[in-house]
Amino acid sequence: MAAASLRTNKLRSALTILGVVIGVATVMAVASIVQGIRSQIFNAIEVAGPQVFYVIRFFSSVPLNPDRLPYEVRIRPIVSPEDAVAVRRVPQVSYAALWAQVNVRLEYEGERTQMMIVYAADDRFMEIVGGTLLSGRLFTRGEQAAGDRVIVLESDVARHLFGRVDPIGEVVRANGKAFRVIGVYQQPENIFQPPGQAMAGAIPYPAARENLHYDETNALFIAVKARTGVPVPEARDAVTVALRRVRNLRPGTPNTFDLMTQDQILDVVGKFTTYFFVAMVALSSVALLVGGIGVMAIMMVSVTDRTREIGLRKALGATRREVLWQFLVEAATLTLAGGLLGIVLGLLAGEAVKAVFGFHSAVPLWSAVLATVVSIGIGLIFGLVPANRAARMDPVEALRHE
Amino acid sequence: MSDGIIRIRDLARRYVMGQETVQALRGVSLEIRRNEYVAIMGPSGSGKSTMMNVLGCLDTPTSGEYWLNGHEVSRLSDDALARVRNKEIGFVFQTFNLLPRASALSNVELPLVYAGMRTRERRERAAAALERVGLANRMDHRPNELSGGQRQRVAIARALVNQPSILLADEPTGNLDSVTSEEIMRTFAELHGQGQTVVMVTHEPDIAAHAARVVVLRDGRVESDRSTERAAA
Repeated sequence: MAAASLRTNKLRSALTILGVVIGVATVMAVASIVQGIRSQIFNAIEVAGPQVFYVIRFFSSVPLNPDRLPYEVRIRPIVSPEDAVAVRRVPQVSYAALWAQVNVRLEYEGERTQMMIVYAADDRFMEIVGGTLLSGRLFTRGEQAAGDRVIVLESDVARHLFGRVDPIGEVVRANGKAFRVIGVYQQPENIFQPPGQAMAGAIPYPAARENLHYDETNALFIAVKARTGVPVPEARDAVTVALRRVRNLRPGTPNTFDLMTQDQILDVVGKFTTYFFVAMVALSSVALLVGGIGVMAIMMVSVTDRTREIGLRKALGATRREVLWQFLVEAATLTLAGGLLGIVLGLLAGEAVKAVFGFHSAVPLWSAVLATVVSIGIGLIFGLVPANRAARMDPVEALRHE
Repeated sequence: MSDGIIRIRDLARRYVMGQETVQALRGVSLEIRRNEYVAIMGPSGSGKSTMMNVLGCLDTPTSGEYWLNGHEVSRLSDDALARVRNKEIGFVFQTFNLLPRASALSNVELPLVYAGMRTRERRERAAAALERVGLANRMDHRPNELSGGQRQRVAIARALVNQPSILLADEPTGNLDSVTSEEIMRTFAELHGQGQTVVMVTHEPDIAAHAARVVVLRDGRVESDRSTERAAA
C-alpha cells in the first residue's frame, strides 16, 4: 500500500518536473551551442590574421533595415578605386585593394550550388583571408590585370560540383558566364559559416566588374592589411585621415565611411549571440513557468494529502516556519532533481547539435550553476503558496482530517 | 504554591460555526498534580475533546486561565504554543499517527528534531525510549510491519522521548482489541509508577478505571471528580 503510493507519487513527481526539465534542458543546450558558435567565430577571425581590417560604406553593430538607413548614411559615396589608392599610399599599410562580395550560384554540368559569396579580389587574396591552396594555383598578375575569367574554388564547393572529377581546367558558370577553374583552396579550418552565406571562391576583381552584376553600394569594400609591427589602431587612424583627405571632408564633419575591424566583428558576434541566448532563455522560461505551476499544483495536492501529518508535526512541536521550510525544501528538491536532469539532457542535446555541425566547445560552467540555482529558485517560489498553506493549518483540524 | 502541574480556572471555549455559537466548555476549574494518573470521561458532546485540545495546547480557551508547569499558556502565540507542546506534552493518539514511511526510530526522533537536538543524541534518546516500551528489537521496522499494539507503543515512546511534564492520551485504546488494550494500560501504569503524570481522555469506563482519578465532564462542565479504588489501594 505504502509502496504503491510511493510509486504513484514517483510518476506524479516525474510528470510534475517535466516542465522544469524541458526549460533547463533548453537553456543548457542553447548555452552550449551559442558558446560553440562564438568560439568558432572567434577562432576563425583570429586565424584570418589580426592585421587585416576593412573599409566599407556602412557598418553597424546593431541590425538596421538596409532600406531605411538614416539620411546621412544614404548620402555616403560608394567606396571607389581612388579611395583604395589613397589607402594604399598610407605608410602604415602594407596592402590595400578594392574588393567586392558578389552573390552568385555556380553551375557545372547540371550541378548547382546555393546562392554563395564569390570574392572579387586579387592575387594576394589568400594572404589576406588565410587558408591553403590544395591544388592548382592562384590567379597571376597578368590574369588579374586582364580580368580573365578564372576562378579559385573553395574545396567543399569543388567537391559538391565535381565529385571525383579533377576540377582544374574545367569550366563553371556564374550568371551564365564561363569561368575556368585554376585552383582549389581550403578555407581556414575554423571558419564558421551560417548557411546561405558560405564562400564559394575568388575571381579577379576586373572579371567580376565586367561579367557579374552586383550592387556597388554595398558589395564594394577595401581590404586593408597593416604593415607588420604596426598596431592596428594606429593603421586605422592613418587610413581614416587619408580617406577624409581624399574625400575632402571638412574638420568636424562625420566620416562618410566605416572601418570594420576584428574587434567590431567580435563585438557584433558577441551581441548577436547574446541576443539569441536571451531570446532562447525567454522562450524556455515559459517551460519553466509551466513547470513551476505544475510544482505548485502537485504541492497543493501533497499538502492536502498530508494534512494529518502536518497536524501531527505541529502537535509534536513544529513551528509554522519549520513546516513552511519542510515543504519549501520538498518543492525545491523536486525542481532541483528536474534541473539536474535537464542539465544532463541539455548537454547531450548541445553535444549532438555540435557534432552534427562539426564544431567543439566546452560548456560554460556558469550556465550549469545558473540552471541549478534557477531550478531551486523555482521550487522555492512556486512552493511558497502550498508551503504557507501547510504552515498556517490549525493543528486540531489537521489532526481531525480524514 | 501547590505542585499542581496543571491548574485551570473558569476555563471556557466557544466556537462560532456559521450562525451558531457552540459552548464546548462553560467554566471548568481543575487541578492536576505531578505524578497523578487522571482519566477524563464524558459522553460525546460533553466537551472532552475540546478539553483535550486545550490541555494539549493545540487550542486556546476563549476565557479563563490555564497554568501548565508554572506558566500561563492560555494567551500564547501559535509558535510559542508549538514550543510548549514540544517541551511539556507527549501526545498519544487513538490512530497512532505515525509517519508510514519512517522507521520506528525515526518516528520517535521526531519531537527531538523540533527540539533542535543533534542527530547522535537524538538517536540515543529515541533508542532508549523504544527500549523503555519494550521495542528495542523493532527500531528499524516501519509502522506497517508492526502490530497495532506495537504501533501504539512506538507512539508512547515518541510521547516520552522529550521527557514531557504530562503524557496526554486521547482514546489510546480506541483502535485496539481488548488484550492489546490491557497491554497498553499496563504500560501506562508502569510509566505512572515511574513518576510520569498521565492524563487520558476516554469514553470507556473500564479503560478509565485504570486511572487513579476520574473526571467526568457533561455539557462543558465538570460533573464529577473522584478517586478510584486504585488510588485508595
